[in-house]
Parts: sequence; C-alpha cells; structure tokens
Amino acid sequence: MPEPLKSKDKHGLPFTRPPEIEVCLARLEAVDATARLQAFAITSRKSSGYVSSEALMHFLRRAHATGAKDEFKQIFGLLMKRIGQSLFATVSDSRMAGAQGIREEIMGRFAERIAKDCNGRFAMLDFFEVRFDMAFDRFRKSVLRQIGPSSVLTEPLSTDGEAGQEISREVEEAAAEFMGGDPQKIDDPAFRLELDAAIDELPDDQRRVVGLLRQGFQIDSKDPNIMTIAKMLQCDERTVRNRRDRAFRTLNSVLQEDA
Amino acid sequence: MNTPKPFAADEEFVLMAFSMEPNHGRETLERYIREYPQHTTALIDCSIDLVHEPSVDDVQAPEVPDSAVDKAWQRFERTIQQPDAEVANTFAKLSTSSFKSLARSLDVSNLFLMRVRDRAIRASTIPVRFTEKLASKLGTTVQAMGAYLQAPPRMVSGQAFRSSVKPSVGEQITFDQAVQTSQLTPEQQATLKSLSD
Repeated sequence: MPEPLKSKDKHGLPFTRPPEIEVCLARLEAVDATARLQAFAITSRKSSGYVSSEALMHFLRRAHATGAKDEFKQIFGLLMKRIGQSLFATVSDSRMAGAQGIREEIMGRFAERIAKDCNGRFAMLDFFEVRFDMAFDRFRKSVLRQIGPSSVLTEPLSTDGEAGQEISREVEEAAAEFMGGDPQKIDDPAFRLELDAAIDELPDDQRRVVGLLRQGFQIDSKDPNIMTIAKMLQCDERTVRNRRDRAFRTLNSVLQEDA
Repeated sequence: MNTPKPFAADEEFVLMAFSMEPNHGRETLERYIREYPQHTTALIDCSIDLVHEPSVDDVQAPEVPDSAVDKAWQRFERTIQQPDAEVANTFAKLSTSSFKSLARSLDVSNLFLMRVRDRAIRASTIPVRFTEKLASKLGTTVQAMGAYLQAPPRMVSGQAFRSSVKPSVGEQITFDQAVQTSQLTPEQQATLKSLSD
C-alpha cells in the first residue's frame, strides 16, 4: 500500500491521490528498483510504459525516507530531465531573454524545494503527488514572478481601458458563437482543442474572463448575492467586457487563420 | 460564518483541495472563492487549467544537458545540509498575538511559553511529547525543534526596566521547576507533568 499523504484537508482528513495514481504506485511497489527506474526513464507520454511524474515524485520521496541513496539520485536526475524538458516549452528561448538561465534557476529552486521536503518540512511536495503538472506550473509561475517578468519578450500587451467602449456587432456575434451559439462546432473535439489552445495563449486577465464565461458565470448582476465575474476579478463590469471583447477578437483571428 | 479551519489556508493547500473535488464547475469554484477570497485569482486559474485536458503531446525539445541536472543536484545537496535557519527563528517570527494564541493552543501560560522560547528550561528535561506538540503547532520538525531548544539560552532583551546589575543569561531550570513556577493552573500542571510519563 502506498503511504498516505500527510497534508490534511479542512476536515482533518489526509488528502488522497487520484485512483489511477494509487493503482500505478501499487503496481510499481511490487517490482524492484531497477525495473522501476527503467519505467521512469521512458519520457514519451504516448508510450504505453510511461509512468506519470506524480509516481516519480512519490518514489523519490520514498527513496529518501528509506535511505535508498542511489535510487534517490537516479530518480532525481530523471525528474529534473522531465521538468527541464517541459521548461523548454514554457520558458522558450524565443519568448524570453536569458531563457536558459531562467530554466536552470527554476530547476535549482525546485531542487531546493525537494531538499526542504526531505528535511521534513510542511509536507511540501504532496501536491506534486496529486497533480504534478499543475503543481509544477504554479511553482514555475511563482519563480518567474520573482525573477523573470521583466525579461518576457513577446507577451501580448494589454492596455486596460477602464471606460466602456462600444462593443462591435462582430464581437457580440463571436461571443454568441463561442459560448454555445453553434453546439455542433463546440462539440467538435478538434475545434475544442484549437479553442482551448487559443484561450491558453491569451494574456492572464483575458483568459480568466473567457474561462469564467465558459463556466457559466455572468459578468455582473444587480443581485448582490450572485457571484459575478466583475466581483471575482474585483473590477468594473466595463473592464470585464473590454477584456472579453479583446479576447474574442484575438480568438476570432487565430481560429480563422487556422481554419 | 467563521468556521475554524484546521488546515493551513495556504494557497497550495487550498488549490490541492480544490483540484481533488469531483468537479470543478461553477458551483465548486464559487464555494471555494467564498471560503477563500484571498486565493480568488489562483482558484480561477486552477479551475481553467482543470477544464483543459492535459496535453498528451510530447514536448519537442532538445535533450536537457546533464550539466543542468548536475547544477540542480548541487543545489539540492547544499540545501539539505544547511541547518534550517528559519526554524531557529520560528518564535521570533511570531507576533505578540500569535505568541499568545500559541500559548493558548498549547494550554500553557504565556510565562511558561516565554521560558521555552528563551531556552530558560534545560532541553534534556523537556518531554519529547511536549517538543512534538510544539513542533507541530509551529509547523516544523521535531528534530529542528529539538535543535532549537538545545541551543544556549537566550539573553532576554527588549524589556523596559532599569537594572543596577548587568543583564545576563539566567541559570536554566528543569521542566518540572518551570511547570511549578509559571503561573499554571493545577490542571495545566497535571497535563504537562503527564507528558513526561
């Protein structure tokens, strides 16, 4: 049985890993370290023997706890290669000046965090055993906030006009279409993937607005009990509409180019 | 409603709890934002990330050089060998009110906790179970807590009184002596003494 996580939820119960990860851990516990390391070395997600990074994190911590120094160092290396690889996409040379240095700094800080976890503090890496990619994404962003923002080269500019602008008919139509105007198109997996990717590329403030609209939140409301986008983002409803319009303009042009 | 939150409302813990929910749609997001308004933006980002299926595409990227991994390993080794300076200062970081609430949550008097903080109590006489309780309340490890308590006693500073003698570090007392002389109720004394059993 894989050891339960130490961090507790608000009811005082330990967090649990997703079932598929528990299954994977149990399977890997049944084989010896050599076989595990072979599996961990597979880097292609498409390969059938690919093991998730959540599992690597689990066995890395376990190797430290059991004093398996050699296994620990090897898993450490494999995990660092994986995150280094993913950083090529998120901290790419074309988008940031000094990208290589930034990538190495992120890896270094992650190594420090592993060390702190090994020293037994705060169960710091539990989240990485639950959702590695998401946890690492957050880690990367927080390091970038500390060391990198000035060096971002091609982040789209966002100028936030507080005053409401006339919303063009075109954008309104686009909005209707994206938000379920054409159910067939929205259900088309290929279109969804493209749409998701395009949304992901939007600047943070616009991406949040689009994301919340997709989840069915309304921009604003007279009823103070209703949680609105304007309230959540703590800005004027006209600002929210502006961000939405700019986002739709971008999405429209990106998706038309692709079509 | 102000319900006590037995788990740290750290952003990371809140996000972990959120991502473990069976669904991440509007209702769940709204519930979390109402409960943890300080983490609103992070929760929104998290909910958007969760809507997207994780990409199964491999990143087309050059191989990560071994030198980058070696550098990370060196940082790992440096950090793991460092005595944890933050822990040594765990008490120092507490504000007056958090110090008092720590004393309350340990069910000891402020005077008693001050003696612990200033290492006026001989570490060898402090029951392990007390050290464990203290470590968990301060979010540190028993080892680090133990190391803190074993360091030389601290000069009590910042106290506003005149003295005709040069201030100095007092003799350390035993845990039992501290229990008896720290304005603790008989019940508190009994509880603390039972930790030594």
